[in-house]
Amino acid sequence: MEKKLTRRYGGWFGHLRPTVRRRLRVAIPYALMGVIVLVATAFFSEPPNWNVWIPFAGLFMLLEFFAVEVNDRLLQSSSIMVIMTAGVIFAITPGSDAMFGMALMAAAGSITPTDIKERRWFQPLANFGQFALAGAVAGFFLDANLGHLPGATTESLPRVAVASAIAGLAYVTVQTLMIRRAVTIVFGNDNLEPWSKMGVLFGGQVTMALLGGMIGAAFLIAQRDAILVLIVGVYAIGHMSLYAFGQLRDSHIGSLRGFVKTLEAKDMYTRGHTERVAYFAQLIGEELGFTGTQLEEIRWAALIHDLGKLAVPTELIRKRGRLEDDEYEIMKEHAHLVEEILAEVDFLQPMVEIASGHHSHFDGNGYGGIGHVEGKAPSLEACIVAVADSFDAMTSARSYRMALSQQYALGELRRHSGGQFHPDVVDAFERALNKTGRRWGAPHVNDEEMARRLAEEPELTLRG
Amino acid sequence: MADWNERTVAVFSWIFPFVAAGAGILAYPSAKSDPLALIVGVTALVIGSLIGVATSNSGNRFTTGLAVAAAMPLVLVAPGGGVDLAGTIVVYGVGLAVVWAMRLSRGESHADLLPTMVRRFAGYVTYAVVYSSMRVGVFESFEGGWEDLLPFAVALTAWLAVEVLMRALFILGPRELSRTYLARALLHDLNVFMGLTLTGALFGELFTALEWWALPIALLPYSFAHSAFARFQETKVTYKQTIRALARIPEVSGLGVNGHADRTTEIASSIAKEMGLGPVQVEHIEFAGLMHDIGRVSLNEPQILKMGYTPDDIARWSAEIIAEAPYLDRVAGDVRNQYEPFRRPGEESDPDVSMISRIIKVAAAYDWQVYSDGRSPLQALEHLHAGTAYEFDPAVVTSLRRILTARGVIGRTRDLVG
Repeated sequence: MEKKLTRRYGGWFGHLRPTVRRRLRVAIPYALMGVIVLVATAFFSEPPNWNVWIPFAGLFMLLEFFAVEVNDRLLQSSSIMVIMTAGVIFAITPGSDAMFGMALMAAAGSITPTDIKERRWFQPLANFGQFALAGAVAGFFLDANLGHLPGATTESLPRVAVASAIAGLAYVTVQTLMIRRAVTIVFGNDNLEPWSKMGVLFGGQVTMALLGGMIGAAFLIAQRDAILVLIVGVYAIGHMSLYAFGQLRDSHIGSLRGFVKTLEAKDMYTRGHTERVAYFAQLIGEELGFTGTQLEEIRWAALIHDLGKLAVPTELIRKRGRLEDDEYEIMKEHAHLVEEILAEVDFLQPMVEIASGHHSHFDGNGYGGIGHVEGKAPSLEACIVAVADSFDAMTSARSYRMALSQQYALGELRRHSGGQFHPDVVDAFERALNKTGRRWGAPHVNDEEMARRLAEEPELTLRG
Repeated sequence: MADWNERTVAVFSWIFPFVAAGAGILAYPSAKSDPLALIVGVTALVIGSLIGVATSNSGNRFTTGLAVAAAMPLVLVAPGGGVDLAGTIVVYGVGLAVVWAMRLSRGESHADLLPTMVRRFAGYVTYAVVYSSMRVGVFESFEGGWEDLLPFAVALTAWLAVEVLMRALFILGPRELSRTYLARALLHDLNVFMGLTLTGALFGELFTALEWWALPIALLPYSFAHSAFARFQETKVTYKQTIRALARIPEVSGLGVNGHADRTTEIASSIAKEMGLGPVQVEHIEFAGLMHDIGRVSLNEPQILKMGYTPDDIARWSAEIIAEAPYLDRVAGDVRNQYEPFRRPGEESDPDVSMISRIIKVAAAYDWQVYSDGRSPLQALEHLHAGTAYEFDPAVVTSLRRILTARGVIGRTRDLVG
């Protein structure tokens, strides 16, 4: 099926850029499927009560628009609750079905003002299809489980709870599968990372669905419009706070990032170092199977790993050649300084421990703060930051030497693998680096030239 | 009313529980609800007022007691229809008396306790009376429609108005916060207040139809709202911690005076609160205060040390650094102007120098003189007063003097004069 589609679209859209072509390969079938689902459900199921449908659809669109970006500890958009409430009302009310109402509502929510403003066409089309299908499937389950009830009573509440949990699970599953599929086609397998966390979200989403269903039933039992307004009120307030939280969290990491960036911008030679180390550390982390919070921790640790160095006199950092013993001692201080600076930030403590161990060696040598124990290997996370840091230090130019080539830097990492560096981390880094296909550092001349450059910096990672 | 002495406050504070409990006991004979319902109500109010605290943005504390109080008039319905007002007052009076005793035993001061309790009682009773009179009088014939919300909305607005008024007017003890600030802080925290009271109302409305099923159904949306509040708060705390930590970089490197940023921020935000600025501006002051000297990290650079620098250069570097950070960037302009005089000869006041810049200027100068130049607080204050022609905004300096007086750092005004 997929092969056939490729060939046909390849013929039609052969003159288009490959990215656009791949997007069309998702957008067209998804949108078609959405239309088919809507037409079919409109034929085969009863329409909802439009007076109830309209306000719910409005709220649903609003919540979709203000969806909160999540990490694995958080609920996503709360819109699932709204659609489930409406679905339960449609399913239980005699003479109306949930399928068409839910499919149409979900489809309406797929278009957001941001998409229109930014003239996106791919996201709304793909979302239209997957939302409509998800809504229809959820509606199908609600109809099957609740359609025959004569009306809502307190006795039917447990049944409603189970039915809406099942429908919610179906809704989320369909969405996740379809998004994963679309992302695989358009961006390839390597970009599934943001969606891999969705599995963890299931619990939260299903709970929201269950809650939404119960509210629908409660509304039917009490037969009072006032209740709906109150629910929406509590809900909107919670959602607003969650939205504010999401923005604040983004600016939290953004502030630290911007800060580190401007501080290091003072030194031409270390400009961008932190960002690159964070990037390499993330590559290694993903390769080693870290996800979610753990991966985030590594990224934060990489961002703060050189914060202590801001307190070291600049002339020392730029000094050519070997450092004197007392200068070396001052330099070593920077691993402790990061602890001192960030001591009161509780949230960063695990990251501080990783960061302060980025100069300790796999075999127990080296130096560092709390993350370093003489004679013991540091944590795997610290080893990851160490490799990322050393690689970037070697492949970028410094005031005291020219940049090395990627080939030579990797060779150095391999040579010290098992001693200074964790062998698994070095292997993972090589694999991850090959996958990206990007090259770092200076073009390779020959090993002697590189060795000569390296000789100008005797302590390989000391200056990171 | 500003400066009550401690003994008077304690006496009134001790009178409060007796008045509240007395009101409850007097109302009891005319209560129409089941005694069991009243006992459940009192217990719920007490438990709710002691646990389930949602801390808000500007430091106000809200307990689930608010939700219970909001639910009471709706749950306690007299057998013949209408609200059992006497029963509601029994619950409020007895409940608050018990809460008072428990909070006192937890070591809260009378100066905090009395205003809170009086405010609560007045707010609850206003709400119940307004709700029940509208429900029984105007809206008796309406059942089941949107109109049901009207008495609730009016009652809630009345409650909020009482809260704001009481916060503004009823402060005991030496005062560092202005009334305007307290009232604005409450309005700023409207979301938490509304989240709690709406939940109470939701429970009350559902209770008539669903009985105890109402509890989980009303609590679930709230638990979502509550976790959102909590997460927001958590992130805010972490964010502030991070900024504070970053602010210490120059100090850790030996390029600044130890603790200068922290102390300046503390004094500056106190001044802002005393002057009645809103919670949002107070927050900006906190960020600007912490970051005002961050540019000192540049003093690490050999060239800069060779060429020399002025305080204005530091302000510029600081502003450049924070301009790059999202969220902080909004105070970059204030930090940039922190050394500017508030006016120049021939002008009333410089509109480009924001109140935030002026406050930071005064707070930083005060801290610098006390901790770096070794002057006494009074000498430092005198010095600031002397500079009010152009350098320091007189309103800010006066506010600083009031704060130092309230804290007992310097003597009362009449001592200064006399």
